[in-house]
Amino acid sequence: MTRVLVFFAMAGILPAAKLSIYPPKVDLAGPEARQQLLAEADLGRAQEDWTRLAEWSSSNPKVAAVDASGLVTPAGEGEAVITARREGQSATVKVRVHGARAPFTWSFRNHVIPVLTKAGCNQGACHGALAGKNGFKLTLRGYDPELDYDMLTRQSAGRRVSLAEPSSSLMLLKPTMAIPHGGGKRLAPNSLEYRVIAEWIAAGAPRPNSKDKEVAALEVFPGKAILKPGSEQQLVVRAKYSDGSIDDVTRWVKYTSNSEGVATVDESGRVKVTGHGETAVTLWYSSRVLYATITSPYPNTVSQDVYDSFPRNNFIDNHIIAKLKNLNIAPSKPADDATFIRRAYLDTAGILPTAEEVEQFLAEKSADKRSKLIDRLLEREEFADYWAYKWSDLLLVSSRKLRPNAMWSFYYWIRDSVKQNKPWDEFAREIFTGTGSTRQNGALNYFVLHKDTVDLAENVTQAFLGQRLTCARCHNHPLEKWTQRQYYQFANLFSRVGVKNGSEPGDSIVYVKTAGEINHPRLLRPLPPTPLDGQPAPLDAQADRRLHFAKWLTSPDNVYFSRNLVNRVWGNFMGRGLSHPVDDVRATNPASNQELFDALVKDFVDHGFDVKHLIRTIMNSSTYQLSAEANATNQSDNIYYSRYIVKRLPGEVLLDAMSQVTGVPSEFRGYPASTRALQLPDTRVVSQFLEVFGRPKRVICDAAERSSDPSITQALHVINGDTLNRKLSAPDGYVSLLLKLGLSDARILEHLTLSAFSRYPSEAEKQQWVAMLEKARLATGTPEAKQEARRQGLEDFVWAMMTSKEFIFNH
Amino acid sequence: MFRLDADRPVEFCDGLRRRDFLHAGALSALGLTLPGLFRLKAFGATTDPQKDVNCIMLMLVGAPSQIDTWDMKPNAPAEIRGPFKPIKTNVPGIEISENFPRMAKHADKYSLVRSVYHTAAAVHDTGHQMMQTGRLFQGGIEHPHIGCVLGKLKGPKGDVPAHVLLPRPIGNTGGNMPHGQSAGYLGKAYDPFVLNADPSDPNFRVPDMLPPDYLSALRVERRREWRAAIDKTVSMFETSQDARLLDSTFQQAYTLMSSQKARAAFELHKEPEKVREKYGMNRFGQSCLLARRMIEAGVRFVTVNMFETVFDEITWDIHGSKPFSPISCYKDLVGPMFDNAFSSLVEELGERGLLANTMVVAMGEFGRTPKVNPAGGRDHWPQCWTIVMGGGPLKGGTIVGASDEIAAAPKDRPVNPAEVAATLYQGLGIDLRVELPGAQGRPIPIVDRGVEPIHELFA
Repeated sequence: MTRVLVFFAMAGILPAAKLSIYPPKVDLAGPEARQQLLAEADLGRAQEDWTRLAEWSSSNPKVAAVDASGLVTPAGEGEAVITARREGQSATVKVRVHGARAPFTWSFRNHVIPVLTKAGCNQGACHGALAGKNGFKLTLRGYDPELDYDMLTRQSAGRRVSLAEPSSSLMLLKPTMAIPHGGGKRLAPNSLEYRVIAEWIAAGAPRPNSKDKEVAALEVFPGKAILKPGSEQQLVVRAKYSDGSIDDVTRWVKYTSNSEGVATVDESGRVKVTGHGETAVTLWYSSRVLYATITSPYPNTVSQDVYDSFPRNNFIDNHIIAKLKNLNIAPSKPADDATFIRRAYLDTAGILPTAEEVEQFLAEKSADKRSKLIDRLLEREEFADYWAYKWSDLLLVSSRKLRPNAMWSFYYWIRDSVKQNKPWDEFAREIFTGTGSTRQNGALNYFVLHKDTVDLAENVTQAFLGQRLTCARCHNHPLEKWTQRQYYQFANLFSRVGVKNGSEPGDSIVYVKTAGEINHPRLLRPLPPTPLDGQPAPLDAQADRRLHFAKWLTSPDNVYFSRNLVNRVWGNFMGRGLSHPVDDVRATNPASNQELFDALVKDFVDHGFDVKHLIRTIMNSSTYQLSAEANATNQSDNIYYSRYIVKRLPGEVLLDAMSQVTGVPSEFRGYPASTRALQLPDTRVVSQFLEVFGRPKRVICDAAERSSDPSITQALHVINGDTLNRKLSAPDGYVSLLLKLGLSDARILEHLTLSAFSRYPSEAEKQQWVAMLEKARLATGTPEAKQEARRQGLEDFVWAMMTSKEFIFNH
Repeated sequence: MFRLDADRPVEFCDGLRRRDFLHAGALSALGLTLPGLFRLKAFGATTDPQKDVNCIMLMLVGAPSQIDTWDMKPNAPAEIRGPFKPIKTNVPGIEISENFPRMAKHADKYSLVRSVYHTAAAVHDTGHQMMQTGRLFQGGIEHPHIGCVLGKLKGPKGDVPAHVLLPRPIGNTGGNMPHGQSAGYLGKAYDPFVLNADPSDPNFRVPDMLPPDYLSALRVERRREWRAAIDKTVSMFETSQDARLLDSTFQQAYTLMSSQKARAAFELHKEPEKVREKYGMNRFGQSCLLARRMIEAGVRFVTVNMFETVFDEITWDIHGSKPFSPISCYKDLVGPMFDNAFSSLVEELGERGLLANTMVVAMGEFGRTPKVNPAGGRDHWPQCWTIVMGGGPLKGGTIVGASDEIAAAPKDRPVNPAEVAATLYQGLGIDLRVELPGAQGRPIPIVDRGVEPIHELFA
């Protein structure tokens, strides 16, 4: 509470505000043009919306009129200057007006449809439903104006749109509830929206045509705002069209706040700050999506020096610090060397450093020892194992649909690719452009796994583009912009992939068929194969359609391809994707630090899709090397990377770590004795441990297939189950070895701490732990009994270590 | 107003604290301390035992078609009424589909709400959210499952978890959205205990409930103590929800281990073969039987997911084309599976005197298109469907609401998912005005103000 007061007190004594008007330049074309202006006061660390408080005036009301709310409308040809004044501050904007008296008709595509969309008429629960509503069906959110036009004007015997008597059109009577309407009142008779529809009908209800201008981009003011809790901010959204013109569409945009705990937004675009943090406000208009970022700094006091002195190792740190500064969050301290080495080994290669490696690293004096460690890790065989496992999760390598030899050839191709650090675009191209024997080219097993065209198309979008298309298979995607038409255009890229039996069981031949289409289920004909938002390939071309796809997929301009990979890699190290969840990078899922995401993607593409370069960049940042320990300002931060996010070890990594520390490898039926869990090419290998610790089935491409939540079943398994207990009691493990070596309890504990926790025990720990072991010993009895008691004590101690949070979590 | 705040100690009513203490003492067979048990049990005290109602929620994943199940339209045109015929039930005037002959004998024990609808996108995931939490997830807030709210407010009863989910969570149903099956903003500590096994598996058992022979109780206890001692030295995990959860899972595991009664609840093989067969020797049937055992052992809320996904599996999701299911499966497979499990459950709960304080609700996430599609199936239709509710304080043998002549929209008394949730909360004896601690401590009411339960279902 005190901190809140300090914060507001500080805000109150800031120097006078600097006032600006947005948009900075206004052209009003045509009699119906309008522009909502914003008067924004810059108060230094935060801003305020003075639009409703300022006094507005026009230098020439005969050219441009402005009302008390800052709305400018055209009156005559020419130029005028609009001024906003408050508290001795003022700002101006030049407004140019032309065509103020020119003839004008509302456009079906650019006005009527947006009005219907804003009123909710064509949403999924109303007439936009697959089957429409009460016999009247519109396309979902107006994605197909031509169809909607026919539905409105041609069907229902012209009652929906009555040219003879516009005001008796059902299209006006129903939504105003002049006659009963199941959907309730959607329009007020005196509104602009009513007038748009009425005047459009009166003008003869002109139909949409291919020459209509289309929305090319959206623009929002303010795109970013730092605001105080309780304050409000009007958003202004403009549509930029294909012909270069601009409209204020603020009234017709659909607004949603991604985090209502930070800010809410009403349907007029008015934001109200409700808490602390940052949220994206999503703006949807005419199938275009944009965000405004609303930041409400936490009520912390953080000195500027904290940000200035943060070691900026690369661009990642610049973006992170910029974000933290906006939010008033201080980053945690840097992690110490012991924490770093454990973290780096686990995140990069899925193994723990050995006790010797830890001691060596801690003793090393060179300033760049962390960078050197990273470089060494990236060359290890375990690095290849770890990432081959990860990409095998992604590509669903398993014996479920593949014979063992096929599974191995697919796995080895993936592992070799990791080993050579094959650029990610080449990795994808090898899959999508190859033909021939799957035994010779393991990548082609991808097509053996996904023999069905539709299944293939969906897996591609999930694995390589971080999007989900499934809904659009049967109807337009109810939540995204993808239509069923786009779905089948996309799927048709894969309709000529042939798979036939090869020379032996498990060998298949992938070839390009000369014919084969997938029909759109309603149109009952094939559509030209087209990547999402890409250029179509002619239906009659003989070339392998996949080549067209692969070129589009791996193009540097295909931002989803690189975002998908960057987000997955970032999430591996940082505990959370910049877009969350990690496999969802669609445009409508905003990132927690968009600038950083863009910069990482650009760097990745600029470096030729080099995955190791990306990993190196992330690991060398100070951000990655922060401690997991929270300070007073970042306790609740789990999104902005102000500290390292602790994460439970993946099941496979945890099992291998237990094997490593106990010196007792796991046994996997059918695999050589020393195989580690992370070296398995298959997730169907029997292992109760891996099962309860959330190993993915590799049935569907979905990051959520892997679970990292702790559960009671896991606790029961490590307490009572065979896996860990057998490792501890094994006669040939490290516990036995340490005892045979005749080491003191203190030495044994030190070694175990280095090997399990990658650090030395503290003095206090040593004392406490030695005392614990001492208590477990037998005072009397035979030497065998004494030896057995000591051994059991040690086993129990190692059990306690390996079930502790420090062991089970990467931190 | 009752308000619970996770981070502050709650105001205890006096008598309660003592009772909890005794209770926890009785549990400490291994000298365990169970701070989790004290947690917020205060609130449960306001309900008298008579009102201590349980609930079994059968999630009919995939979404049954209203017309082919509990809201038949025999007089509609063929392309509407579909392939099945209605049969009479033991309650005059109530007819249901011929696919549920056993269920027809128990219509006095449950009621049908024939006018449920929702207005969100017609994808499975949104329906799962709304039916299990009462709300659509918006603005980044994940709402808690009703059973998790119950667990938060009343805590576990005895040694078993408050909320158990059988057999597995709902997986991929196409929308890539949360399904409303977790504790959401309440935190993972209130997530249900998930079985994650198939009770119809011949080797089914909850693994690792007891230490192996070679580990003495003394050593198990020493390990527990040492684990706590070692972990205490590390402070960096305090702000991690997952890390706190890890400790709570260990505590709960020890509780289960130390309770003969809790362990026995999972021993399905102790049921006579005849009883098991009555429920159906399949995943859903055996899960329903296990649900009964859970309630007997003291679990307050059991969620049973009839299916895990709608893809490549025969489910209620009868689009008529692959990878979904054909309409005929209602007769051949899914219908009988439900009929046997549901009927046996209701029968047995009745025979054992448990139906009086155990609600049983069976519901899908939406309805299906009135018109049969070209593939002979029916597609998604959230505008109108039927759910089954009974047991506890809920009346049986009645019909609430009605659909229009083709079951396309509620004609009478529309009921939305929030009202279904309110009905369950009311039935569970939870005051609808209770607020829960949301993100940054902001209170969130369990149902929005003004949402009323289905009063017709209460005597």
